[in-house]
Amino acid sequence: MNRSSSAARIALFAPCFVDQFYPNVAIAALEVLERLGVAVDVPLGAACCGQPAANAGFERDGAAALRSVADAFARYERIIVLSGSCATHIRAHADDVGGAGERVAERTTELCAFLHDEIGVAAVAQLGTRFPHRVGIHIGCHALRGLGLASPSELLEPRFNKIRALLETVQGISFAALARPDECCGFGGTFAVGEPAVSSRMGRDRLADYAQGGAEVLVSTDMSCLMHLGGLAAAAHARYAPPTLHVAEVLAGRSP
Amino acid sequence: MSARDTILAAVRAARLSTGDRTDVALPDFQLESRTRETSGDQVARFATAARETAVDVVECTRAELSSWVKHRFPDVRRVVSTTRDVPGTVADQGGPASFADVDLFVCEADFGVAENGAAWLTASRLGERAALFLATDVLVVLSRRAIVGDLHAAYDRIELSSEAFGIFVAGPSKTADIEQSLVIGAHGPKGMTLALVE
Amino acid sequence: MERVGRVDHAAAAARFTADAPRTTWHDATLWFAREKRDRAAAMVPEWETLRERASTIKEHTLSRLDEYLERFEAKALANGAHVHWARDAQEHNRIVHDIFQSRGVKRVVKSKSMLTEECGLNPYLEQRGIEVVDTDLGERIMQLRREAPSHIVAPAIHLKKEEIGETFHEHLGTPAGMSDPATLAGVARTHLRERFLAAEGAITGANFVVAETGSIVVCTNEGNADLGTSLARVQVASVGIEKVIPRLADLAVFLRLLARSATGQAMTVYTSHVQGSRNGQELHIVLVDNGRTVQLGREDFWRSLKCIRCGACMNTCPVYRRSGGHSYGTTVPGPIGAVLAPGIDLDRYAALPFASTLCGSCTAVCPVKIDLDAQLYRWRQRVVEGGMTTLTKSAAVKVTAQVLSRPRVMWTLGAFARAVLNVLPSGMARLASGAWGRARQLPPAPRQSFHAWYESHRRNTAPREGEGEGEGDA
Repeated sequence: MNRSSSAARIALFAPCFVDQFYPNVAIAALEVLERLGVAVDVPLGAACCGQPAANAGFERDGAAALRSVADAFARYERIIVLSGSCATHIRAHADDVGGAGERVAERTTELCAFLHDEIGVAAVAQLGTRFPHRVGIHIGCHALRGLGLASPSELLEPRFNKIRALLETVQGISFAALARPDECCGFGGTFAVGEPAVSSRMGRDRLADYAQGGAEVLVSTDMSCLMHLGGLAAAAHARYAPPTLHVAEVLAGRSP
Repeated sequence: MSARDTILAAVRAARLSTGDRTDVALPDFQLESRTRETSGDQVARFATAARETAVDVVECTRAELSSWVKHRFPDVRRVVSTTRDVPGTVADQGGPASFADVDLFVCEADFGVAENGAAWLTASRLGERAALFLATDVLVVLSRRAIVGDLHAAYDRIELSSEAFGIFVAGPSKTADIEQSLVIGAHGPKGMTLALVE
Repeated sequence: MERVGRVDHAAAAARFTADAPRTTWHDATLWFAREKRDRAAAMVPEWETLRERASTIKEHTLSRLDEYLERFEAKALANGAHVHWARDAQEHNRIVHDIFQSRGVKRVVKSKSMLTEECGLNPYLEQRGIEVVDTDLGERIMQLRREAPSHIVAPAIHLKKEEIGETFHEHLGTPAGMSDPATLAGVARTHLRERFLAAEGAITGANFVVAETGSIVVCTNEGNADLGTSLARVQVASVGIEKVIPRLADLAVFLRLLARSATGQAMTVYTSHVQGSRNGQELHIVLVDNGRTVQLGREDFWRSLKCIRCGACMNTCPVYRRSGGHSYGTTVPGPIGAVLAPGIDLDRYAALPFASTLCGSCTAVCPVKIDLDAQLYRWRQRVVEGGMTTLTKSAAVKVTAQVLSRPRVMWTLGAFARAVLNVLPSGMARLASGAWGRARQLPPAPRQSFHAWYESHRRNTAPREGEGEGEGDA
């Protein structure tokens, strides 16, 4: 099956919509990891973690997708997922699907979590990336409260933000200050289709917050959120329609 | 089966049906917050917290209280007082409703709580409970030495076995039910003063 | 508010958001409540410890609820109170009515009790000739308007002061156009003072009841509960069985969390502890089940019974703030409502667990650490298992799931979809994607998926087993 280097113990997973609609994100992630000396495999056989079906109430149907993910990644020590919500779903539910599920659940992480916790901010700084723009960090809710990528505004605990810490290593970068640091963008998967009015309203409110903060580019670990926000701005022919990038693309030095 | 028996049986069945629920032990909770606070600091913290609830906090001696009240509330006619330091103008006459036109109700608190500025009053201190809520203004007399740090310390002191009623009062009555706009003086008293005495 | 048939939250929310400026105002108002909570919580260094402690106390108590209920009853009886038990709403209403009728009580004042709202007590009593006046200002406003409250702590939070002014003008004879909150509150004070003084009966809820002392603990800012109970000769306290806590010392934990979570105050103005009755007065306590024991038996959902009715989950919920409490069609709305109501009627409230993005903010503010977002997710599974999703949705999700679990199928379809999208004009592509597309423009479709790129750039070019012709572009 997989004839590429089998020495790599780390796998990269570009979930379904990233694979289909944002291949450049995965290409950038691959590039960043390799420049940091991390050899990764991209095994075939996994397309979707099953979250859309599971969140819609069809957990059993989603389990089949999740099982193929678990099988595809069974032999890896670390699975880096290019989506905070997918990583959270795999970590929370893979141990229910049997087979390699439990193992995979434990070993699954998201890119920024991996870079921050296991590669370290200092190493990332060595990339010497330049990105002279004001960035609006959008932290997806699952990345935030599910994976602990930053301290949620509700909790009374010491403040930290791993995404920001990584991006702060980039030269020329600055950050937009938000009125509501971590309010949900309103995507919510099937919520966007089932409750379109509230979903769009939430997205437009989020865009307005980035606008007042002067964000030139929106950056996130979750392309689903950015697809939602970007799509709303474009459809409304809004004055404020910032470009959107994944954190990996910023670290790889892509232009917005 | 009576309703009581049905409900209790249902509770027991529910417990059994979720069998592996951890038998969670009841914690013994001792919180030592602000242990390094001096009593002077604690009084100051109490006064600040009370003022935040729109209480007027004054410091005086018990001996000065009576004349202070006359000076501060010159126009009051009906004063009900359950503390010897301030004479009332009316005695307990009828049922609770007879206190409807009380201008000033004066009573003594057992202690105050620094974290929220609340005063603890009991039935034996209040006499007719209704007076506390019907009066237009309330004056609570509290010893400076009777202040505790937080509610944990408060409940360590509270003894309810011989009291039909006990209440924390933190300010005059309020509402924000109209467009979240704070109004002091809702259905209960419109003003509250706290006299910190020795 | 519609109470018949299934609640359609999405449709109600669409109507709500159609008034964009009003939605902005409602959202800002509730967010302000969230911010007040944040500031108050920040004043308590041990806040997260308190939350954990409160959660533990509640879980302990719920796991031995029968023991604590019996203990509470014994103490309350020893204090001289009457204790009644009601299996359901009807029984509760009958008991309360019997108490008042047998004592010749015709006029009753009632302070805030979501339980009595849940049981429909007011209409029950009114139909039987007993006048019930809700004395919480927000509830009184809603009572005059003949509407249900939209928030459990601030019942009229969805109304502007001009609208309240109109209500007072219509029902209390105030001048038209009067809208200053202090003035209106002053009118209400006078109006309700008469009712307090005339009332023979008083109904309260209970924030907590304490097993150790038999105490009923009621928290208010307005003083309306105590005005009622100190004046009326017959007091009735309606108490959900989940309200019992073991000891007085436990009250400290909950009271430090409650007002800060609800309104951002360190403490409510009045926190009264009633043990028995005073001279010449009767105290009746009605302990109510009404579905709580059923919820208690649900492994996935019993933790919802920890709720202390603070409303913080509503204030933080981005969906509640933009759709309003009435859109939930329940007594208790918002995230907690969405995990309680399906337990009562899964069919009627099937939409509520889906009125959420599962963002988890509610779980993070809950003072007793109810796993609200996890319960919303589990209720979604129950709704589907119960066959309550529409057939089209069910088919669509199943097909999607099948496709997504088969990488090659997805990649082929994906290639096709992307090719189509690149050709269609933007507007048509949006239409083609249905509801998603109505508000959002799709991203431009990439020429190649990541897997295709990886195949062509990173692997050997020799074809692998199992791949047929024509899949090279997937």
